Amino acid sequence: MNYITPCLYAFGASLAFAIVFNIPRNKLLLAALGGMLGQLVYVLFQLVISNDVLLYLLATIAISLYAEVLARLTKSPTTIYLAVALIPLVPGGGIYYTMLYFINGEIDLGISTGIHTLLISGALAVGIIMVSSTVNLVRKVMLKGSSKIGKKLNHGKKT
Amino acid sequence: MTINQLSHVAMEMGVILLSNGAETYRVEESMHRICIALGAKEAEIFVVPTTIIISVTLEGELPLTRTRRIHSRKIDLTKVSEINHLSRQICFEPTNYKDLLAEIRRIDTIPSYPYYLHVLAFAFISQMFTLFFGGSLMDSCVGFLIGIGIKLQMDIMGRFEANVFFTNIVGGLIVSTVALTAAGLGLSTNMDTIIIGSIMTLVPGLAITNSIRDIIAGDYLSGLTKGIEALLIGAAIAAGVAVPLSLLRPFWGG
Repeated sequence: MNYITPCLYAFGASLAFAIVFNIPRNKLLLAALGGMLGQLVYVLFQLVISNDVLLYLLATIAISLYAEVLARLTKSPTTIYLAVALIPLVPGGGIYYTMLYFINGEIDLGISTGIHTLLISGALAVGIIMVSSTVNLVRKVMLKGSSKIGKKLNHGKKT
Repeated sequence: MTINQLSHVAMEMGVILLSNGAETYRVEESMHRICIALGAKEAEIFVVPTTIIISVTLEGELPLTRTRRIHSRKIDLTKVSEINHLSRQICFEPTNYKDLLAEIRRIDTIPSYPYYLHVLAFAFISQMFTLFFGGSLMDSCVGFLIGIGIKLQMDIMGRFEANVFFTNIVGGLIVSTVALTAAGLGLSTNMDTIIIGSIMTLVPGLAITNSIRDIIAGDYLSGLTKGIEALLIGAAIAAGVAVPLSLLRPFWGG
């Protein structure tokens, strides 16, 4: 039960964000499912891994893969799915507590929380970069491969 | 199609893409694709978040350059998706100038979701995130109200073209003032959760995503600009939240 409810809340929030971003009507649910997926991966891996920066990285990799695959399937831009799914992973709490420690004069705690928040943001960026770059590379290799095969086939026909 | 019409069509499509929240590399790629599909010999396009410059060359004609400055940006991914689709379609079946322009007009006037739905969405985001970060039902209702307030405040300030950072500072002010008041009146016990949940409505999610994707695509200029924008908005929210927390706390005792 404790694992399911955060995912449902993430789904609801992502759905609302999809409306704010004016995502096409028939893709609203798919986009919101991405937000839920990120949370699901986070919660499931929490049982095995205790380092939360790593957890954020894994969750981002999952939603990026989801977004890239869906973008190809539905022939629409990747951003539609990625931007919505990423929002539940944004460290809003980290930003708030960093600020709170600073105004309370607890500079040490503020700095360590701030750096932790920055690390999480870094994990989000690295996760997206890893998946996007790999997908691009694979697509280019496949395009080159298929054109080579095509040339060979044409060549074979001619001779 | 004449060089004038060609560059006009490409520019119109580029403007819709850029002003509705597409990544920079997508604007450049789409415009280039359209120009080549419509018969240009060469097309050089340069896009930054506020400007589009396009230079087209046709066989046997002098090159033509157009520049357009983008003043207002909003987020409407339906339009981005439709223009993206149209630009791919043109490659397969070239259309004439009039039809193309009519299609672009149609996409440009696609209505977004009704206003009340946007307000409800804001309220819902803030309510869901308050629950998500561990708030009670009562906390989430306060979050719901804050969401409505933020949406109205952002629209009013947007109408007067207030700058983004100031809008976010005021947004943060509203969030923490209402949360503090709720805590002071004894409606809620965890003010922190309400604040964290409600500031999620202000988080620039699309700017973060697009800045990362632009940097991957090699558009460092646009990527860094948007990344800095996202960072400054984050700082503005934190600053806005901090003011009532440090000024009002002694009086409310929240």
